[in-house]
Amino acid sequence: MAGFMIAAAAALMAQPPGPPQPPRSAKAAAPVDLTGNWVSVISEDWRWRMVTPIKGDFASIPVNREARQVGEAWDPARDEAAGLQCKAYGAPAIMRVPGRVRIAWQDENTLKLETDSGTQTRLFHFAPAGGAPPQTPQGGEGTWQGYSIANWERAPRGAEIPDPVPIFSVRQGGQGRSLEVATTNLRAGYLRKNGVPYSAGTTVNEYYDYHKERNGDEWFTVTTIVRDPKYLTGPWITSSDFKKEPDGSKWDPSPCTSR
Amino acid sequence: MKRMVGLIAATLLAAPVWAQVDFTGEWAPAYHEDGPERLPGPELGDYMGIPLSDAGRLRADSYDADRISVVTEYQCRPHSSDYGMRGLGNLRVTREIDPANQNLVAFHTYMPAWGSMRTIWMDGRPHPPAYAEHTFQGFSTGVWEGNMLTISTTHLKANYLRRNGVASSDKRIVTEHWTRHGNFLTVIVVVEDPVMLTEPFVRSENWYLDPGQKLPQMYCEYAAEVPAPVGSVPNHLPGKNPFLTEVAKWYGLPVEATRGGAKTMYPEYRKVMPKPINPQPAKCERFCVCTTLADCNLNETVTAPGGAPAPRR
Repeated sequence: MAGFMIAAAAALMAQPPGPPQPPRSAKAAAPVDLTGNWVSVISEDWRWRMVTPIKGDFASIPVNREARQVGEAWDPARDEAAGLQCKAYGAPAIMRVPGRVRIAWQDENTLKLETDSGTQTRLFHFAPAGGAPPQTPQGGEGTWQGYSIANWERAPRGAEIPDPVPIFSVRQGGQGRSLEVATTNLRAGYLRKNGVPYSAGTTVNEYYDYHKERNGDEWFTVTTIVRDPKYLTGPWITSSDFKKEPDGSKWDPSPCTSR
Repeated sequence: MKRMVGLIAATLLAAPVWAQVDFTGEWAPAYHEDGPERLPGPELGDYMGIPLSDAGRLRADSYDADRISVVTEYQCRPHSSDYGMRGLGNLRVTREIDPANQNLVAFHTYMPAWGSMRTIWMDGRPHPPAYAEHTFQGFSTGVWEGNMLTISTTHLKANYLRRNGVASSDKRIVTEHWTRHGNFLTVIVVVEDPVMLTEPFVRSENWYLDPGQKLPQMYCEYAAEVPAPVGSVPNHLPGKNPFLTEVAKWYGLPVEATRGGAKTMYPEYRKVMPKPINPQPAKCERFCVCTTLADCNLNETVTAPGGAPAPRR
């Protein structure tokens, strides 16, 4: 009897507060607004980001021996001759490149992120309202920005076991506030401008977290986890901080450079 | 029956303050940003990426690395709660639950570096009045913003922004934002220091869950390491510190950039950055990998281009 009552109470608590809501688009469901103009503030890794690092400098990146060999053979002139100036502007690296980003909804389920440094465009594909998650295209050559699948991160759970009617537990904050992005289908490039390599098999997981500070400044911090079975000994984890600007007046497009 | 269901439901619903995300556990730091600064330690005169005020820069310029060896009070000086997140930061987080109502009362953190223990109050208590004691860990309260834990810390003692003499004042206020993504923890630390900084100093650090981690207790013993007259404090008077340009020479950087300041932290600075006094070395020779203390090559014997000796640590 007591078990029944507890289960009933828990079931009552599990009821949604109102009638079922129709599926919403990613734009309508956004828990935070990441759109606008943002500038990267270089308070970390200054001498590896604001200037081209010294050849053979792999500091802070968990590279393996093969990556060191490739990095020590870095030749920017060779990249220029091959038209590969954008090798250090791919998705695994672009959020560490000093510059400005512009974020806007391309449509109801696609968020567009543009960079002025290297004039790159990233598209974050959400599942359409009530539809299946987007599928990564199969085959074809990788690109600098790859293919990105996005969602608004759900509250963390220890395992993917459904628990629709919790007993003796209550979940609060069923939806997180983070934008979660998973990127694959990449073209091989550089993690840093001095030729630290990543392979085409690299995957990138990102989490964009919005925060507002006491002085009213708005920021987002993106935690980036790069996995590369070819050149890294483990995940490479960085987090990059961007401050919101009132408009796009400081937007300064510039092409990719190798040096 | 109806009454009992209502009673049980009311009991389960009574707790107003849940941990929306549980940060408890053993966390190991990823030194994947600024490894050489955070592991063996920063170069003297490296203020890059810090929005230093003139006062903050003057204070940093006066620093002499012998200070810690001579002034024993410095030797066991703990890392403050804000610097600790950037420094040598293995971390344990536990939480305190009120057994009477299962409310979250506080998170507690422990970092082995100087045995730093800290409490982040989650029960809505106010900060103490301004005249209350200042400590290295300060007084912290937290609130939830969705699944982000936002922490405000006041009543801090003066400490480090970087452990090469870049100081923080006891007037600073620190805001942190903790987020957990799977088994990764990201902590954004925002330091507002009206004395040493011209704008908020925003950095973010990352940890990964390491359930097997066992943290040691740290004991610190004072010992005079360098003979010096009693009461002396090694320092450099304004304009007299000969070591401040070494980092620029060593890495082929403009001296102005190494001096920090807000203007050097924005992308447009790259267009107006002065030329370096020494060319960049052709090949990296110091701290070339550096993701752990084990792989961070000090290589103190290398001579910088232009003949400058290796920066002192």
